[in-house]
Amino acid sequence: MSLLHSLARALDRISPAPIAYAHCDIPCGIYDPHHAQLAAHTVIRMIDLINQLEKPGPNATPEQRQEYTAKLARYVLVKEQHAEIAKNELRILWGDYFKPDHVKTFPELNDLVWKTLKTASKARQEINLQAAEDLLKGTNDIASIFWKTKGLETITTKAPYPTERQTVYPRMK
Amino acid sequence: MFPVSRFRVEDESMRPALEPGDYVLVNRWAYRVRPPSPGDLIVVVDPEVPTRYLVKRVSETFGPRGVRVTGDNEAVSRDSRTFGPVALERIIGKVWLRLKR
Repeated sequence: MSLLHSLARALDRISPAPIAYAHCDIPCGIYDPHHAQLAAHTVIRMIDLINQLEKPGPNATPEQRQEYTAKLARYVLVKEQHAEIAKNELRILWGDYFKPDHVKTFPELNDLVWKTLKTASKARQEINLQAAEDLLKGTNDIASIFWKTKGLETITTKAPYPTERQTVYPRMK
Repeated sequence: MFPVSRFRVEDESMRPALEPGDYVLVNRWAYRVRPPSPGDLIVVVDPEVPTRYLVKRVSETFGPRGVRVTGDNEAVSRDSRTFGPVALERIIGKVWLRLKR
């Protein structure tokens, strides 16, 4: 660190230097919170399917047990994959799309993303419908902020999937 | 107005010429005597967000009408390729000195 740099930094205490941004952005950055919302729907759907699965009773045959185990394993696998997809998509929005200006306008954003990531981990680890519902709610809230930063209003409506949960969509101009 | 202003650099599109955390001293009067020329490092008012400043390099000049600016780190820079030429009155000045972090 040079002496002049230290001097400039000391001056900042008296009167902060304005910032000149060597602004970074891959031109036409393509981001959309819908991937995260979709993954949250899948997690809910997998938990519904797991809960609907008939558990083998004490008199079940080995074939019935095997069929149960195979179905359960598949649902759990997909649930975990999609909880991870939701986390990855949220990290991309958080790390790459959202900028300090957005956090100034939506001060709740950082905490919201952080909590939603934690919820996604819980939905991944457990067969916990409430955690999956909270994950969808978190992704909806983040989608709502995302579309506002794009200057678009949102509508909240029933999703056209078997999960049929309330979902935030942009109202395209 | 004092002819030299100090700015702190953020973001990475001008690496390695300018690193985040560097300071630059900007000569506000540089273009009173001669027009900007390609290669100059300049601080401009962001055409997209008028409350903030950008530091970029002049890549092309259009006489009295303006300049094109680009980041040295083209792969990640947001610049005239996105927002078009920058009018001369938006130029704050020319980078005169880099205070390396």
